Amino acid sequence: MLSVKGLKANVGAKEILKGLDLEVGSGEIHAIMGPNGSGKSTFAHVLSGREGYEVTGGTVLFEGQDLLGLEPEERAHRGLFLAFQYPVELPGVNNTYFLKAALNAIRTARGEAELDAVAFMRLMKQKLKVLHLDDSLLKRPVNFGFSGGEKKRNEIFQMALLEPKLAILDETDSGLDIDALRIVADGVNTLRSPERSMIVVTHYQRLLDYIEPDFVHVLANGRIVRSGGKDLALELEEKGYGWIAAEEAA
Amino acid sequence: MNTSGAATAVAAAPFTAWLAPVADVLPGTGLGWLDAERGAALARVRAAGVPTSKQERWRYTGLKPLLEQAFVQGDEDVTALDPDDVEDLLIPGLDAHRVVLANGRLVPSLSWVDGLPDGVRAGGLRTILETEPELLHGRLGRVAGEGAHVFAALNTAGMDDGFVLLLDAGATVERPIEIVHLSLGMDEPRLAQPRHLVDLGEGASVTLIERYVSLGESLYCTNSVLELSLAARAELTHYRVQEESPKAFHLAGVYLSQAAGSRYHGVSVGLGAAWSRTDLVAGFVGEGAECDLDGLYLAGDGQLMDFHLDVRHDVPGCTSREGFKGILYGQARAVFDGRVYVARNAQKTDAQLSNRNLLLSRSAEVDTKPQLEILADDVKCSHGTTVGQLDPGSLFYLRSRGIPLNQARRMLCVGFAGEVLDALGLEPLRDYVAEQVGRRLESAPLD
Repeated sequence: MLSVKGLKANVGAKEILKGLDLEVGSGEIHAIMGPNGSGKSTFAHVLSGREGYEVTGGTVLFEGQDLLGLEPEERAHRGLFLAFQYPVELPGVNNTYFLKAALNAIRTARGEAELDAVAFMRLMKQKLKVLHLDDSLLKRPVNFGFSGGEKKRNEIFQMALLEPKLAILDETDSGLDIDALRIVADGVNTLRSPERSMIVVTHYQRLLDYIEPDFVHVLANGRIVRSGGKDLALELEEKGYGWIAAEEAA
Repeated sequence: MNTSGAATAVAAAPFTAWLAPVADVLPGTGLGWLDAERGAALARVRAAGVPTSKQERWRYTGLKPLLEQAFVQGDEDVTALDPDDVEDLLIPGLDAHRVVLANGRLVPSLSWVDGLPDGVRAGGLRTILETEPELLHGRLGRVAGEGAHVFAALNTAGMDDGFVLLLDAGATVERPIEIVHLSLGMDEPRLAQPRHLVDLGEGASVTLIERYVSLGESLYCTNSVLELSLAARAELTHYRVQEESPKAFHLAGVYLSQAAGSRYHGVSVGLGAAWSRTDLVAGFVGEGAECDLDGLYLAGDGQLMDFHLDVRHDVPGCTSREGFKGILYGQARAVFDGRVYVARNAQKTDAQLSNRNLLLSRSAEVDTKPQLEILADDVKCSHGTTVGQLDPGSLFYLRSRGIPLNQARRMLCVGFAGEVLDALGLEPLRDYVAEQVGRRLESAPLD
C-alpha cells in the first residue's frame, strides 16, 4: 500500500525528516508517536502534498506508484486522505456543497459518473447513519464556527464519504475532551476495513486506547527509531520518550 | 468661475455632440417645466465640462477611453427583437413582472407589467411624457438634479425613455419587477440613456430588479439614471446586476431620497463592461430611516470597475450599512470610494462602511477609499477596508479532498462573495449571479 524509504524533507533551511522508512500494508493501522518537533506533522503533510515542504531525498510509493510528484488533489484521487489536526474554516462555502464537489471531483478523476443531488443526499444519509451523526453540520459553512469536536467529526465524516485507501489522521485527538474523542474514535473504528489502511499520528497514548493499532512506531529526530506492537505505546506512556532518546544517544 | 464660456463649451463638446441627433426630438419637448429641466441640465454639462483626474471623484478613473469614442444617442425603436432573443438572457426560475428596454427604448411587445394592484402606475417614460406628463412634473429630476455629477446631467439633458413606477400610499407589489436593459450593437457606437423613476408613497413597498445585458459583444455606452424616492415608511428592495458586453462602457447613477422610517435595501453587482462607473447616492430627509447598500464587483483582465457611494445623514437617527466586496483577476482595476457624511445635527446616526477585496493576481489593482465625515458627536460609525489574497491553507484543504486547484479557487471566491450573494434575497437571482461569478472565474488566468 505505502512504502516510504529514506524520506528526507526540509522546512525552509531546516531538515526535519532525516531518512524515514515505513511500510504500511493493506488494512493495517500504524500509529506514529513521538515527542513534539520530532517531525510527525511534517511527515503527514509531505505525504499529502502540502506546499512549504521540500523533499530532499528518498522515495514514497503508494500502491507501487510514486506519490511525491503528484499534486495534492491527484493524491486524493488515488485514495489518500489527510484528517487535519486543525481543519480549516471556510466561511461562505456550504459544507454539503463542498462534500459533493469533493466526491464528484474524485469520481470524475477515476472515470466514474458524478452523483446527482438525489443520489448524493442518499449517500450522505447512509454515511451519517453509519457514523451515528446528525445532519446539523451539513447545512453550515465548512468548519465555520464549529467546536473542536465538530471539526474532527466533520473530518471523519469526509473520510467516510470519500472512502480513501489510506487515511492519515494527524493528531486527531488534540483539543478533544474524552467524549468527543470517543465519538471520533468510534467513527474511525467503523471505517476500519481490510481495504483501508490508516496512519494515526499522535503525541499521546490516549487515542490508542480507542483506536487499536497493529503497529506502533516512534519518530524521533526525523527518523523512525523504534517499531513494535501496541505494547510499545503502553511502554511509552509509562516511561515517556526520554528513554528512547537516551538509548539513541548511547 | 473665471473660465470663459467658450472654453467650457469646448471642454464639454464630446458630451453635447453625443446628444446632437436627438436634441429636437426628445419626448415632451415644448413642455415648459421639462424644457427647463433639460435646459438646466445641459447648462450644467457645459459648465462642468469633461471631468479630469484632478477632480477627486475621478482621480482613479480616467475618461480617456470613453472620450475616444464618438457615441451618438439614437432616436429609434429596436423593432427586430423577438422573444427568443431575450429568452437566453432571462434568469431561470425568476418569477417577476418584466420590462424590457432595448438601446434605451422600452419594447412594449416584450414587457408585461399588467395585473398590478390598485394604486400602482407603471409604464414607459416616453409614453407618459406624451400622454400624461403632469404625472411627472415635480418628480422627474427631483432627486437626481443639481449636485449630481456631469453624467447624471447628461442623462437629464437627453431624457428619452425609461421605466416609471409610481406607488400610492400603502400600495404593495408582491411579485418583483424586473427591468432588463438590453443593448445591441449598431453601425455606429450608440449611447443609450435610460432614465428610470421609482416613487413610493407612504408605506408602499416593492422589489425591483435592474439588469443590464447585451446581445453580442459590441461597443456601446449606457448612461443610466435611476431616481428613487421613498416616502415615510416605504420599503424598497433593489437588486442591480450589470452584465454589459465586454467592450461596453457603463455609467450608472442611482439617486435615492428617504423619508422618515423608510427602508431601502440595495445590492449592486458589477460583472461586465470594459469600463464602468456606478454612483450610488443616498440622502435621508426624515428620521429613523434605514439604508443598506451591499455590492459585489468581479473585474477581470482589462476591466475597470468603479463604485462611488455617497450617503448623507442630514437628519438624526438614521442607519446606513455599506458592505462591498470585490474580486479582481488578471490586469483588472477597481475603484471603491465610499463616503458617509454625518451632519452636525444628525445625532444617533449609525453608519458602517466596509470594503473587502480579493486579488487573484499580482497585476490586479484596487484603489479603495472609505471616508467618514462626521460633524455630530453622538454617533456610532465605523469603517474598514481590506485587500488580500486567497488563503493557501484553505486552498490546500480543498485540494487535499480531491478538488482541482482551479475549482478550489472558484469555490473560495464564491465563498468570499457569499454574504453579498445571500443578500440577493431571491433564490433564482442568487443562484444565477453565483453561477455567473463562477463562470467568469473559470476563465481567470492563474498566476
